[in-house]
Amino acid sequence: MRAILIFLAMVFSLAIGSVAVAQDGPLRLRITDGVIEPMPFAIPAFQAESAAAGQLAGDISRVVAADLTGTGLFREISPDAFISTVSNFASPVQYADWKAINAQALITGAVNADGQGNITVKFRVYDVFSGAELGKGLQFAGTAQGWRRMAHKVADEVYSRITGEGKYFDSRVVFVSETGPKNDRKKRLGIMDYDGANVQYLTDSSAIVLAPRFSPDGNQVLYTSYETGFPRIYVLDVNNVGRRAIDLPSGTMSFAPRFAPDGQTAVFSLTTGGNTDLYTVNLASGALTRLTSAPSIETAPSYSPDGSRIVFESDRSGNQQLYVMPAGGGDATRISFGAGRYGTPVWSPRGDLVAFTKQNRGRFHIGVMRLDGSEERLLTASFLDEGPTWSPNGRVIMFTRETQGAQGAPSLYSVDISGRNLKPIRTDGGASDPSWSPLQR
Amino acid sequence: MQTGYYISGAGHVGLICFMLFGGLLSSDPLPFETTTNVSVISGEEFAALVAESTPDAVAVQPDQTETPVVEEAPSLSEVAPVEETPAPPPPQEVPEAETPPDVSELTPPVTEVEPDAPVEPAPPVVEDTVTTALPEAEQAQEQQADRVAPEAVAPPPPDTQVADTVQEAVTEGEDATEQAEEAEATAPDAAATEIVTEAETPASAPTQSMRPQTRPTRPAPVETAQDTPAEEPQTDAIADAVAAAVADAASDDAPAPSGPPLTRGEKDAMRVAVSSCWNVGSLSTDALATTVVVAVEMAENATPVSGSIRMLSFEGGSEAGARQAFEAARRAIIRCGARGYNLPREKYAQWREIEMTFDPSGMRLR
Repeated sequence: MRAILIFLAMVFSLAIGSVAVAQDGPLRLRITDGVIEPMPFAIPAFQAESAAAGQLAGDISRVVAADLTGTGLFREISPDAFISTVSNFASPVQYADWKAINAQALITGAVNADGQGNITVKFRVYDVFSGAELGKGLQFAGTAQGWRRMAHKVADEVYSRITGEGKYFDSRVVFVSETGPKNDRKKRLGIMDYDGANVQYLTDSSAIVLAPRFSPDGNQVLYTSYETGFPRIYVLDVNNVGRRAIDLPSGTMSFAPRFAPDGQTAVFSLTTGGNTDLYTVNLASGALTRLTSAPSIETAPSYSPDGSRIVFESDRSGNQQLYVMPAGGGDATRISFGAGRYGTPVWSPRGDLVAFTKQNRGRFHIGVMRLDGSEERLLTASFLDEGPTWSPNGRVIMFTRETQGAQGAPSLYSVDISGRNLKPIRTDGGASDPSWSPLQR
Repeated sequence: MQTGYYISGAGHVGLICFMLFGGLLSSDPLPFETTTNVSVISGEEFAALVAESTPDAVAVQPDQTETPVVEEAPSLSEVAPVEETPAPPPPQEVPEAETPPDVSELTPPVTEVEPDAPVEPAPPVVEDTVTTALPEAEQAQEQQADRVAPEAVAPPPPDTQVADTVQEAVTEGEDATEQAEEAEATAPDAAATEIVTEAETPASAPTQSMRPQTRPTRPAPVETAQDTPAEEPQTDAIADAVAAAVADAASDDAPAPSGPPLTRGEKDAMRVAVSSCWNVGSLSTDALATTVVVAVEMAENATPVSGSIRMLSFEGGSEAGARQAFEAARRAIIRCGARGYNLPREKYAQWREIEMTFDPSGMRLR
């Protein structure tokens, strides 16, 4: 009898559970679990609208595809799988053919060259499953020499339209190129496209150079050089490689410089009398302002995007931690409280996060945290990761990773702030200390 | 009994001795096919040999500003702001681009730097990139869909029973005065007047089966004169209000869904189906912080009506983020519903309109 009652109770409860509550209005569902995978897209080779554009058309479409797939957010569908061919830029799109191969986005384009060094690149983006164009078609006109930049601009538009993120492909990176063994390493400043292409060198390797930092307009670089035997800050114009040293009191050491968002001021560390503090210098007048006066070491300052605050590292608590203070100096607030040591903080261009290097239990990490120290997330872990720099849109972080051992060499890596898509940046030889430029204009 | 043991033991001992001492388990080493004579040399001699065979060290001399492999000079110029202009600019407006300096060949000045003498920046290389909006893309012609009649073709009359004699069907008539026994129509077997193959299906043949009808709504009880006593007055205020509400509901264009509701399992199946196509991997961090509510109308074959998908509301992010989040939600609904969701057809009234809340908070920077 008891068993029968239990059985009936179970049946009753199942029946109750399977019957939904009486519905009022439309059916309402809550979707909380999706998938995280690259969006498949198709990019047929851009059409060459003139004979002189034949090679460029293919090259540009390849760079666009590489930019998009390099983000880790997109996956290119092999042209071998295409059902439709795009023989004319103006041809209507057969959405069914692209749906059949699960292409969620379609990018078509065409290149025209006038034979005198000028080219035009035009493109359109389609949302295949919606059966509509995503935004309007655009056309860029420029010189054939700058075809890579035009490809990056096309990719930027596509990326921005689909993801909603800001653009960052049309940007550059200044870095320290390193050659030779560890005990006799030669360093010089290099500049390249964000993807490692178009490398050029800004200095020779007669003196050790460190920590290059772009100006807000991308035309100047602040860096530290040991040319005189002591660290000293220089300003370099990337357009003509002209440079000048910042005039500072003799007998001092200056390093870790960074531009203020207005481009007129730089903040840096100055060591005098065995003590290191933060200062600002007006780049036009050379006027110095002292920001901190503590017996500890204050260094690696970085401005907030609005220029109102500075985040820096200090060992005033006994070991390296991160602090935030007003841009004009004043009380500093500690923001890092986790285990280990924190250094090289860099404020995100969006203003919401700080990227940093963390050393804990013999491992180095690149991480991000909010300005109040909350939501700390470590994105990488290795023998030596350091020196993060933000992409112009605040979505990607580039940093230096050095391998272990006597043959260890530094190289550049990038990682999405979600922690996904960790990948090396292709450079010739060793590279360290990257600084990402703003988006080119 | 033990004699056998003795014989067996002696035999085994003899066999083991033969294997050990008879050379059965021994083997000769394999012969060397070739031999090489080696000689011992000192460390100095070895270093000398290595030095002779090693080419001159031509490691990258740091002082040599060797021109790297540069595909193209970086664009160092000012670029026109990206603006959408209605018409492309005339060609004469594009300035002549200057050749950018080969930066790799430039050597920084060796002389002492003058701190007080800022370098006058050289005029930047001009490389205008003009951005022009293109006209609207030509819309592709919709591919011809299969022609399907809006209403199912009525089924043909039932086949006549084969019989030897012709007999008209007998049905129960309303005005029948004479009770006759019901019987099906019959006719003798006959041949067709023409040969009709499978490829020549007569036009009148049904091309699709009848769709099951949804369960009819329960008719409202109609009070008849016999049911309602004539002497009872119809002035009750509550009854009037109920009658008005019923009338309003009856006149509403979109009546509330009726019939049995979807079970939890049926809702979960729908939820899982949409989730499997909801890809947030390419969303911006802003869009990942945005919850959007999307409405969609469904066709009877359980496919979403693409044009009906709209965003009802959003929260937690900017408008731009909401737009991206909505696009991802719309793609999910269309992609996984292309062949129809697994929804019970008899409950169409329940899922004809669906509101889905896409909440990515649990997937943010996971």
